[in-house]
Amino acid sequence: MLLQFERRDTPSKTLVFATPFIAIAITIILSSIMLLIQGKSLLTTFFSFFIEPFESTYAISEVFLKFGPLLFIAQALAIGFRAKVWNIGAEGQMIMGAILASSVPVYFTDSDSVFLLPAMILLGAFGGLVWAAIPAFLRTRYNANEILVTLMLTSVALQILYYLLLGPWKDPMGFNFPQTVMFQDAALFPPIIFGFRLNYSLIIPIIFTIFVWIYMEKHFGGFKLTVGGLAPHAATYAGYSSNGAVWKSLLIAGMAAGIAGMSEVAGPIGQLQRSVTSGYGYSAIIVAYLGALHPIGIVFAAFFLSVIHIGGDYALVTADLPISSVHIFQGLLLVSYLASFTLVNYQFKPRKARIVEIESSLT
Amino acid sequence: MQSYLKRFKKIVFTTLFAIGAFNTSVSADTLSIGVLLPSPIADVGWSNELVKGFNGIKEKYGDDVTLNIVENIQEGPDADRIMNKMVGDGNKFILLGSFGYMNSGLKLAQRNPDVSFIHASGYKVADNFSPFTAKYYEGSFLMGMAAADLTKTKKLGVVGAYAIPELISTINGFALGARSVDPEITVDIIWLNSWFDPAKAQASAKALIANGADILFSNSQDTPSVVTVGEEAGAYVFNLNGSMGEYAPTKYLGVVKTDWGPFFSASVDAHLNGSFVGRNEWLGVDADVVVTEEWNPDISAEMMAKIKAVEADITSGARHVYDGPLFNQDGEQVVAAGERLDDGGILGIDWHVQGINTPLPK
Repeated sequence: MLLQFERRDTPSKTLVFATPFIAIAITIILSSIMLLIQGKSLLTTFFSFFIEPFESTYAISEVFLKFGPLLFIAQALAIGFRAKVWNIGAEGQMIMGAILASSVPVYFTDSDSVFLLPAMILLGAFGGLVWAAIPAFLRTRYNANEILVTLMLTSVALQILYYLLLGPWKDPMGFNFPQTVMFQDAALFPPIIFGFRLNYSLIIPIIFTIFVWIYMEKHFGGFKLTVGGLAPHAATYAGYSSNGAVWKSLLIAGMAAGIAGMSEVAGPIGQLQRSVTSGYGYSAIIVAYLGALHPIGIVFAAFFLSVIHIGGDYALVTADLPISSVHIFQGLLLVSYLASFTLVNYQFKPRKARIVEIESSLT
Repeated sequence: MQSYLKRFKKIVFTTLFAIGAFNTSVSADTLSIGVLLPSPIADVGWSNELVKGFNGIKEKYGDDVTLNIVENIQEGPDADRIMNKMVGDGNKFILLGSFGYMNSGLKLAQRNPDVSFIHASGYKVADNFSPFTAKYYEGSFLMGMAAADLTKTKKLGVVGAYAIPELISTINGFALGARSVDPEITVDIIWLNSWFDPAKAQASAKALIANGADILFSNSQDTPSVVTVGEEAGAYVFNLNGSMGEYAPTKYLGVVKTDWGPFFSASVDAHLNGSFVGRNEWLGVDADVVVTEEWNPDISAEMMAKIKAVEADITSGARHVYDGPLFNQDGEQVVAAGERLDDGGILGIDWHVQGINTPLPK
C-alpha cells in the first residue's frame, strides 16, 4: 500500500511542546542499547552527558563558550531558512571571517592599540559578508542554486586557509607548523572569569538574538523577508523584492558567521590554525531546526546542543566512550527529533489521486 | 506532563546514583594517567606505539596505575577541554600525543603544578612539562644505506606528513645514508599536511613510483597505505614508529621503531618520587628508544655488515649522522668537514641536504 504524508490541520499543542522531550527519550533508549552492546555503563555515560557539564564553574563556562557561536550562526541562518534561502556554507563564511580578522594581529604583531579588536570584528564581519555575497549574486543574477554554491565555497575557503598557514602567514618561530603567531592580548577578547576561556564575545550573539527577535516578530521587514522567499510571485505582486530576501538572508548569515569565526581565533584558539570552526557552521543548521526556526526556540536549542557537546567531550574521558559513539549519540538525537517533529505535524494517509496541487506551506 | 515528571525523576535518580558511584572511584594511593591521542589506536602506527609504551608501567604497578586513554581527538579547541577534564578528573600524569596540543597543554601545566606532562614532538618546556622526540634520523640513515643497496633507478620517494624539523631531519638522514653509499641517488618528497590520510598517502605513493622511485619511505603516516602500495608495485618500503611488515610480506625494507617504554617508565617513576623535571627529552639509538629491525633478507650480507658497523658507531657516539661536510640543496656548504651540526641546528632544521630534489615548502 502506498502511503503519503499529509499535513495535520491542527497538530496537538501538547505534542508540539513535548517533541524535544520525546526525542530525548527515544535517544536515551536507542543509545542505551548501543551502550549495553559496547559494555559501557549507562549511568556513567548519561551522567557525563547531562550532569557533568553543570558540575563546575569551569564546565558551565565551557558550555557558554560553545553556546555563543552556535546561537549566533543558528539565529542568522534561521532568518534565511524561513525565507527558504538555504545557506549551507556558514562554515566557509566563518573561515573567511577568521582569516580576514587574523590579518590584523598577523601584520601588526606588536600593536596593543585598543582599536585592534574592533578592527578585527569589522574585518571578520566583512570576510563572512563577502563570502556570502558570492552565492547571493549568483543566485539573484544567474539563478544558481545557493545550496551548492555555499557548500562548495566552504572548500575554497578551507584551501585559502591552508595556503595562508603553509605560506605567507606561517609563524616564523613555529618550526614550519601550519599556524600563525599566537595573538597578543590586545587582539583577544578579555575573559569574563579570569583563567577560563569564556570571553566577552558572548555579548554579541545575545544582542543579535534580541535584534532578530524584534525584527522577525515585530517588524514588517521580517514579514516581507519571509514572504519574499516563500512565495516569490506573491511577494513581487505585493511589491516586496524576492531578490532582496536572498541578499538579506545570505548577507546577515555571512556577517554573523564571519564574526563567529573571528571570535574563535580571538577567543579560545588565540591564533589562526587549520581547525578554526569546530564544525559550528554545520551544527548551527541543526540548532536552527531544533529551535523550530524561532528566535526563542533557537536559544534553547543552542544551549541544549552545547550541553550535549560538552557532555560528549566529557563522556570520552569519564565514561571511556569512543568518539564515534559520541557522534552516534548526537546524531540519534537529531534524527529522533526530526522524526518526532514530522509525525506531530504530518500524518500518514493512503495515497489518493491528486486533484489539486497545493503548495505546501512553511513548517 | 506525564513525560515531564518521568524525565525529572530520571535525572534525580541518575544524579544520586552517579554521585554515589563516583565518590568511590578515585583513591589517593593510585596514579591515574591521562593519554590524549590524535589518531585511532588501531592495530599499528603512532598512537598504538604510544599506548604500548605504558605496558612496562602497567606490569610494574599493576592495579595501582590506571590509564585513561582518549583517542582520535583533532587538535583544536575541543582537545583543550578534554585535557582540562582529564586533569579535573584527577589524572596526575598526562601524555599529550601530538604537536598541536602544545599551547593549550602548556597553559594547563602552568595552572596545575602538581601534574606532570610529557608532550610528543613539541619544543616548549616548563617545570612540569617535557617535550619528547625521537632521533629518527639515526634510524633513517641506516635505512638509507639499505635503500642504496637495493635501488636500481637510484630514485627514492618519501611520503611526509608535515614539513617540521622532526621530519625534515629524518628525511635528510635518509638521503645522507643513501648517498653515503651512492652519491648519484636522489630523493623526492610529497608532503600531505596530515598525519592520517589514507587516500592521499596512497595516491602520493603511486605518484612517486610512477616518477621512477623504487624505494618508499612512509614518514609519520599513521596508516599502512604507503606500505601496501609498495608491496603491490614492487617497491621496497619502510616506515617509522611500529612495524607494518605484515602489510608488505616481501617488500618490507624494515622499520625504524620507537620503543617509548624506557622513557615513559622513567618519567612515571620520576613523577611518583617527586623528581620529575621538565626538559627537552631527545632520545635516540643510544637510549634504546630508536630501534631499527626487521631488515629485508634481500639486503646483501656485505651491506648488512656495514649497516651494523655504522649503527654501533652511532650508538657509541663515534659517528654522527650530521657530521660535516654537509651541503644544502643548492650545493652550498652548511657544515664544514670535521665539524658537526649542533643539536639546536638539528632540532630547528629548515633546509634539505644535497640530493633531495623537492624544495622545502616555504
